[in-house]
Amino acid sequence: MAKKTKKAITRRDFIKTAGAGVLAAGMGPTIFIPRQARAAGKELKILQWAHFVPRYDQEWFDNFAKQWGKENGVEVTVDHVNIGQVVPRASAELAAGKGHDLIETFAPPAQLEPSLLDLTDVNQEAERRFGKQLALCKRSSYNPNTKKYYGFCHGWVIDPGDYRKSLWEKVGKPQGPETWEDLITYGGKIKEKLGVQLGIGLSQELDSNMASRALLWSYDTGVQDASENVIIGNERTIEAVQFMSKLYKAAMTPEVFAWAPASNNRALIAGKASYILNSVSAYRSGQKKVPEIAKDVFFVPPLKGPRGTRWTCEHVIYNYIVPTYSRNADTAKKFMLALVANYDQAMYYSELYNSPAFFDVSVPKGNRGYAKVRGAKNLRDLNDAWFDKDPFALPGEATDKLKPLKDAMEWSTNVGHPGPASPAVGEVFGTFVVPNMMANAARGMKPETAVGQAETLTKAIFDKWRQKGLVGGKM
Amino acid sequence: MSDFDGEFGRPRSHIWDREQVLAPLLIAPAILYIVVLVGIPFCMAVYYSLSDATTGSQTLHFVGLRNFQAVLKDAVFRKALLNTFIFTLVSQALVLVLAKILALALIKDFRGKWLARFLILLPWTAPIALGTIGWMWMLDSIFSPIDWLLRYMGLLGAPGALLGANSNLYWLGVPSLAMLSVILVHTWRMLPLATVILLAGLTSIPQEILDAAEVDGAGFWRRLFQIMIPMLLPIMTVAVLFGIVFTFTDIAVVYILTQGGPVHSTQVLASWAFFKGIEAGDLAQGAAVALFLFPAMAGVAALMLRLARRSEVA
Repeated sequence: MAKKTKKAITRRDFIKTAGAGVLAAGMGPTIFIPRQARAAGKELKILQWAHFVPRYDQEWFDNFAKQWGKENGVEVTVDHVNIGQVVPRASAELAAGKGHDLIETFAPPAQLEPSLLDLTDVNQEAERRFGKQLALCKRSSYNPNTKKYYGFCHGWVIDPGDYRKSLWEKVGKPQGPETWEDLITYGGKIKEKLGVQLGIGLSQELDSNMASRALLWSYDTGVQDASENVIIGNERTIEAVQFMSKLYKAAMTPEVFAWAPASNNRALIAGKASYILNSVSAYRSGQKKVPEIAKDVFFVPPLKGPRGTRWTCEHVIYNYIVPTYSRNADTAKKFMLALVANYDQAMYYSELYNSPAFFDVSVPKGNRGYAKVRGAKNLRDLNDAWFDKDPFALPGEATDKLKPLKDAMEWSTNVGHPGPASPAVGEVFGTFVVPNMMANAARGMKPETAVGQAETLTKAIFDKWRQKGLVGGKM
Repeated sequence: MSDFDGEFGRPRSHIWDREQVLAPLLIAPAILYIVVLVGIPFCMAVYYSLSDATTGSQTLHFVGLRNFQAVLKDAVFRKALLNTFIFTLVSQALVLVLAKILALALIKDFRGKWLARFLILLPWTAPIALGTIGWMWMLDSIFSPIDWLLRYMGLLGAPGALLGANSNLYWLGVPSLAMLSVILVHTWRMLPLATVILLAGLTSIPQEILDAAEVDGAGFWRRLFQIMIPMLLPIMTVAVLFGIVFTFTDIAVVYILTQGGPVHSTQVLASWAFFKGIEAGDLAQGAAVALFLFPAMAGVAALMLRLARRSEVA
């Protein structure tokens, strides 16, 4: 055999080496597949949004999930993404047929139903173990047309009115607004005399969507009825839209047309809003960043409409979904039940941001990471005690500020109220039909025209999803 | 076994040494890249647009042109289509004029020229999302430093002030200002690339032609319009066409700054396709919206290829 001489890399060598490299890279994933397959059933991959209250993830949830995994011989991975990334990421994983076993959404994921496992068994088991689930939670995870639970709702978030007491005191309403009309009467005065506007979003974002629905429901109207028929085009909707137009002129500025979900929080903390509709997270941020403003923030339940009706939309609905591709569905179901059993900690570590879907869950014994609440047997007792005396109040701050939210389950409802959530309700929500209807009128469009446009869009969306058999009601 | 053949030591002819084998082999990765990342998604978009696909359904049924008919009836889509053209044409006109001015300035020798070039290139090198979030703060309804500056200068926030008595301009809350903001931020983003392209073009103009024109008494404007711009025309067209492609398909600026609001006044096709197809779950209609970009993009691509071919011939 001739001795090989040292030479420069030839074209042939380059191709051989590059080809081998490409082949190896291509083969890589398949080489590891058998190892993954052996782990089936013994791992659980969870995808959920980064909680607005950072300590929920950092101090509790991630550790809880790992600990649960250790106790049950399951390797648990928790991936957090920004709230805006949840739906695109879940859609991509469902389309690919690969990804996480459990995905937590913040709004009813009804449009994904065909690719999700029916979770009737775990929902029934949860009710058997923990008592009745809150109706708004069931309506956000169950499709009555297909009789399928496409999700498992473990919690929700209250969306009260947050107001600056010192400002409302100066105009003679120290207990804050009670009716929508009060926002014009007193909120208008605050803007005129004190130069501080109201902050109800009329923008293409989450909070505006919820606020505009709360107004519709308080005016005894809505997007759909209980049987999923579109009812938005009626006189009461026009009345509500007229009201919003008046309210905008009396007490708000064009900033509300540009708001993102965090804008009302920022406005409140900056002392630039006399009243906003938001969860307690806005106030909690204020406690940490601007305590003097936070001490002045108080809460009111939903405002009454002209006929005394009052409703507010849940601020967030926590739904776990299990994609049909998951090979760890049973493990996922066990985890969901364990989470519900430990929801006292979810409430506490979210600083009362999370409310439970199952209020009758017993409080576990032992050290739970918070000061023991005397006499608290279940989550309802804990809820009442903590809302009566806020464990997170600042030194020198009133501890009973959250008291008006104690019975929030009575006046909170789901996005599709009085009917269930559905893909049609989700698309009307996701394409901002309702806040844009309000914004159009506030910007000068005739309320009748704004409502007519919204009705056309809504009917087209409902008809489309009805044809797919996922929505009830009449064409 | 040796690579050398026989007594003459001549390398043995190998399959890799044949041009007809090697050429396709070398170009294969590029073709594969285009097929996998452009061709297949495009075909899928066409397939989805003719089906009843949703983000949750893996079972598709052919529905013909129903999605396109539904999309055309949608007032928001028509608004988004118009906005896409306004957004693209206005921002590209601004980019062209400003890039030309910048390129003319940067071709001169002055102190700190490299720093100036670096700073001008910065928006192009920074991630688009990061830059746009920065602009979101600059244009914030309450905390905008631009508004603060205007107030400080007495142009805003006082009775009789030129820009009004309100404390803020509400850049992203007033439809016309929101569209202006989106266009300006995109112009800021695209300007560096166009400037670099034009700068390269300017340096390729022979200095003796400009000198001769100057000796013949041609002033700046005459040299600009009768020598520089005609000679720069092919490369300017390339800059514009690149800009049109990038702008027509851009979602980041609109999505981050306004989410298409207020009341869809800044909605563009790319963002509406996302809201409809992904957020709302109607993949089929989302694909139909996105495909409306195709004829315009195909026209631009054809023009680019023709231009490239012409300059190759030249």
